Amino acid sequence: MTTATLAQGLEGPSAAEMDSGTRNASHVARDGAATTTEAPVATSPAPGPVVNRPAIGEYFGSFMRAVLPPLIGLALVVGLWALVAMKSSDFPGPSKTFDAAVVLFSDPFYSNGPNDQGIGWNILSSLKRVAVGFGVAALVGIPLGFIIGRFAFMNSMLAPIISLLRPVSPLAWLPIGLMVFKAADPASTWTIFICSIWPMILNTAQGVQRVPQDYLNVARVLNLSEFRIITKILFPSVLPYMLTGIRLSIGTAWLVIVAAEMLTGGVGIGFWVWDEWNNLKVEHILIAIFVIGIVGLLLEYLLLLIARRFSYGVN
Amino acid sequence: MGTMLPMGGAWAAGSDKPEIEEVKIGFIPLTDCSSVVMASVMGFDKKYGIKITPSKEASWAGVRDKLANGELHAAHVLYGLVYGLHLGVGGPKKDMAVLMTLNNNGQAITLSNGLKDKGAVDGASLAKVIARKDKEYTFAQTFPTGTHAMWLYYWLAAHGIDPFRDVKNIVVPPPQMVANMRVGNMDGYCVGEPWNQRAIVDKIGFTAVTTQDIWTDHPEKVLGATAEFAAKYPNTARAMICAILEASRWIDASAANRSKTAETVAAKSFVNTDVDVIRSRMIGQYENGLGKSWSDKNLMKFYNDGQVNYPYLSDGMWFLTQHRRWGLLKQDVDYLAVAKAINQTELYKQAAAQVGVPVPKSDFRTSKLIDGVVWDGKDPKKYAASFKVRA
Repeated sequence: MTTATLAQGLEGPSAAEMDSGTRNASHVARDGAATTTEAPVATSPAPGPVVNRPAIGEYFGSFMRAVLPPLIGLALVVGLWALVAMKSSDFPGPSKTFDAAVVLFSDPFYSNGPNDQGIGWNILSSLKRVAVGFGVAALVGIPLGFIIGRFAFMNSMLAPIISLLRPVSPLAWLPIGLMVFKAADPASTWTIFICSIWPMILNTAQGVQRVPQDYLNVARVLNLSEFRIITKILFPSVLPYMLTGIRLSIGTAWLVIVAAEMLTGGVGIGFWVWDEWNNLKVEHILIAIFVIGIVGLLLEYLLLLIARRFSYGVN
Repeated sequence: MGTMLPMGGAWAAGSDKPEIEEVKIGFIPLTDCSSVVMASVMGFDKKYGIKITPSKEASWAGVRDKLANGELHAAHVLYGLVYGLHLGVGGPKKDMAVLMTLNNNGQAITLSNGLKDKGAVDGASLAKVIARKDKEYTFAQTFPTGTHAMWLYYWLAAHGIDPFRDVKNIVVPPPQMVANMRVGNMDGYCVGEPWNQRAIVDKIGFTAVTTQDIWTDHPEKVLGATAEFAAKYPNTARAMICAILEASRWIDASAANRSKTAETVAAKSFVNTDVDVIRSRMIGQYENGLGKSWSDKNLMKFYNDGQVNYPYLSDGMWFLTQHRRWGLLKQDVDYLAVAKAINQTELYKQAAAQVGVPVPKSDFRTSKLIDGVVWDGKDPKKYAASFKVRA
């Protein structure tokens, strides 16, 4: 019996007290019971809650769980790629592409005139165009989303137009941009603007429509002005939706700039892909795929971090 | 050659000074952009007081748009494209100017190995294969009103094949031509070098005919600009012609110069390809992919004692007659008047005098094409209507 009590560890009354004869062990207050000198906790390997010293094994386990599956996925892709390359006569395999990548990235910021610049300059150039187009789209799309969400009339008026224009390909917008703006850069910016604005409008509108009725009732009770309703109630609760819209938009914008640059020329990652395609240097096209994908991923991740920073509560 | 100081410069400062000193000349990455590129690389432009920046463009449609909206001052451009743009054929309309011809010859028609296996190795055998009608054959060219389209149509028609009714006829960029031929989706295309040599090197096709065999010393690319540019900045235009004339003369001067040109032009900033794909045809060494090799004396010419570069009126008019033949122009136009408006013969003569380049005596020249028909520029309306195979 004593051993059994001993085995309960800290929770039960101390062994000494039990041995002294008091059979009212159960009445002993649990809070301060651990006064006994002998409190053999470590003997029992019972899997209790890990409190003050997590095992190294746990860290290792979670690290492996996070890193291993993506690595396996990547290895599968590379393996498949190598297989395809072996079968085909001129499709380059991973090792040939890697060699080409090393050469490209060893000097990413060289400049040999306007037609031949390092890959760093090309990426920066494209990002600049994306920034402008995306910025304008945000400035127009978010307020428009607020208006559509807030006023049912505007919603009914604009919904069919939005549904009509949303699925249009950027390659259809580009010639229109060229005709109206008569220059390649504004036309590309216009194409990014018109293609990436839709998620921002629609998500913001939805966020506004989802504001809990309680908040709006409070606003009515307090007789708040429209401006205060927007800034104090709508904006904070719409923020998560808005940020989702922005994240979707940035993906579209990055996609569009590559396509637009293929048609307009100049310095940029899209035109670089087109030039390498023109020369059928497939290794470089494959590298471009990775570069485009990685930059897109980083852009989205950046916005995800911003979203987390500004969100109230769960995201 | 190359870097003469402005002090001892070839122009009289003052009234002849170029209005704009930095000019952007667009080009498409093809071997025949060489004279524009070399004018910049060898410094011939500085000799005439301008700085040429060659600007690589994505497509002929892109060049057309950028010329029209002023983003490019001038461009290495298809002869027929300029004329089509001037008359608004199937697209925008803008008054244009041809400052000089950049090159003769150096294009070709490539047919796929699939066609070779069926026995089509030249025009006559191709006609027999197509007449069997066992599948729909696809042919490609670079621009609907451009030079390559006209060579392709002329050659097909010369062998009795209707380019619009007997085969499928599409416009795609050169890498797509090669990629599609590789997978059996493309049966033939007409395009400039290095794409024809490329098909042979990649073992996917062969050269059925070179364009110099269709029309020896035919006009090909020109230095095109808007009429507005030529009128507003004549000194700059003249300086451009001078610089590129000198570059053309330099390229044609020797095989060594041609070889060096091939190396320069193959670089990343320009055509962006392997030197070997450009060099051999550039120096006249041809192989057709069917085992025949020869040294072609009618290779891509940039100068030929000034005979390449003069903007003959009959050259421009030829493209108009072909546009009419194929229904791109719905009615006859005043062929001579249009050519006179576009081809800047006076400006060219001034530039040629400055550089010391001989000028031909007449604005017209006579040639006999592959089907035996002679073109001398005298009766364009009759010529356009005289063909058996037409729209």
